[in-house]
Amino acid sequence: MDEVPDEVLRVAGVSHRYRHVDALVGVELDVTPGECLALLGPNGAGKTTLIGLATGLLAVQSGEVRVCGRDPRKAVTRRHLGVVQQSMGFPRTERVAELVRGAAVRAGRPASAAGPVLTEVGITDLARRRAGKLSGGQQQRVALAMALVGDPDLLLLDEPTVGLDITARRAFWQTIAARRDAGVGIVLTTHIVEEAAAVADRVVVLHGGRVVAADTPAGLSALLPDRTITARTGLDDAALRALPAVLSVQRDDGGDGNRVRVTSNAPETVLRTWLADDPALADLRVEGAGLEQALIALTGNDEKIGVTA
Amino acid sequence: MSTAVVDGKVLGGGVLGVEVAEGLRAILREPTALFFTVLFPVGMFALFASLFGNRPGPAGIPYAATMVATYGTYGVVSVMLTNPGIRTAEDRTTGWLRVKKVSGAPVGATVAAKVISALPYAVLVVLALAAVSLAVVGPVLGIGTALRLTAVLLLGSLPFALLSLAIGFVASPNATAAILSAVLFPMVIASGLWFPPEMLPPFVDGIAPVLPTYQLAQVALGQLTGADVTGNGLVLLLMTAVAGALAGWAYRNLRV
Repeated sequence: MDEVPDEVLRVAGVSHRYRHVDALVGVELDVTPGECLALLGPNGAGKTTLIGLATGLLAVQSGEVRVCGRDPRKAVTRRHLGVVQQSMGFPRTERVAELVRGAAVRAGRPASAAGPVLTEVGITDLARRRAGKLSGGQQQRVALAMALVGDPDLLLLDEPTVGLDITARRAFWQTIAARRDAGVGIVLTTHIVEEAAAVADRVVVLHGGRVVAADTPAGLSALLPDRTITARTGLDDAALRALPAVLSVQRDDGGDGNRVRVTSNAPETVLRTWLADDPALADLRVEGAGLEQALIALTGNDEKIGVTA
Repeated sequence: MSTAVVDGKVLGGGVLGVEVAEGLRAILREPTALFFTVLFPVGMFALFASLFGNRPGPAGIPYAATMVATYGTYGVVSVMLTNPGIRTAEDRTTGWLRVKKVSGAPVGATVAAKVISALPYAVLVVLALAAVSLAVVGPVLGIGTALRLTAVLLLGSLPFALLSLAIGFVASPNATAAILSAVLFPMVIASGLWFPPEMLPPFVDGIAPVLPTYQLAQVALGQLTGADVTGNGLVLLLMTAVAGALAGWAYRNLRV
């Protein structure tokens, strides 16, 4: 394998246009070896276009895309890539071992490389099964084996855990984590924001083809000043809404009805007055916004985050 | 088998082997479509050879021998015109072709494999015709002639395979099957591959020479009669160039 540069993926000033629609506008991002970057954004954000450029399926119109320092339009560059797509379209007549052996040869590796990867992904029991007989989750694991068998420097994972149960999902991420620890760079798009928050080192949020935020999951969550205060209270809703800096009040329907959720972007101000006015205040808890709330705030869009464009 | 990278380019030798093997397995494991492609010409040949096979045909050759050439043309063209295009269209629409392209494998090797993996089945048609001919009317072709005929039919199937790929690069699998059938059957009939040309309406005589099936059938018949078929061969070569240009254009505009 060639020497890997500092960045396994570099996207510099990339813009891409489909007829009258700007799919990407001046996008800048990079992925270093051993880093996992989650690419999030609502429908039409430009994620699929970005993946298409990184995989060489689309020609760069403006800016520069480099995979391991090379042009991804060249077939030899794509051998640095492992890709798990949402739909792989396996021929139904092929057996799993044949698919992975074929992927090895296409990636310039010996067919015998398939055996260890089948073990690594935990699908040796499926080796002789035909692709047409695989469940959705099994297909995703076969896709992962095919992506890994070429020993890639960069993994592009497009909705990789769709159809996987909890155990399989955990095993999937353990496999990915081992590769990441070995220096493989990872780009992930997913619907499951909690998953992105758990596995990604950095999150890039795309909206309308532009990067609207790029930070660690914790850093992005911290962008949103809103806090949720949950407590038991003796005040009614009107009194709670009258507290300074309260944005909303929601009463918990269960229990005795005294439990409320109050949101505010200045929780200290709320609490100072609330503590003074409400002797019954108890079970107080203050929580920050999650990554999903941060994404919704950033994109102004509460439809599913992470759907590829 | 492995694939080499020379001067930054991927050489597809190993990939071609993998792709051909995949193509052969696909047909072997799900032979239904090809079964009819093989069975239909062989069945028609068996019927007509048993009725007219012993009659003397052109240049004093038994009709059964000329029918091996004409039905051989039909059978080989049928396999090579339908199989590569439909399978390419399927791979394109399911996303499998995209997976291969992203893998860094040369897509040209994938496409070439679609043609190569159909060839054994084209040979199967010719062998089946020869076997039926032997069973129904006895030996009508020498070994040398049979081998020459087979080679001519396989080589001459290239423009049909290229046309098939051109359609498969742009149309859906169902549309590809429909378009190729719509192309195949009128060509086969107008070229006199099912029935002798003298049984067809006179205007067909004017159409036949512009059809590649007619030109291939003439080259095939020439292997039996010894007639000079250089002109037919050149026309077929020109048609191959046209089909190649069409396939090349469709390939360059291929969206996966």
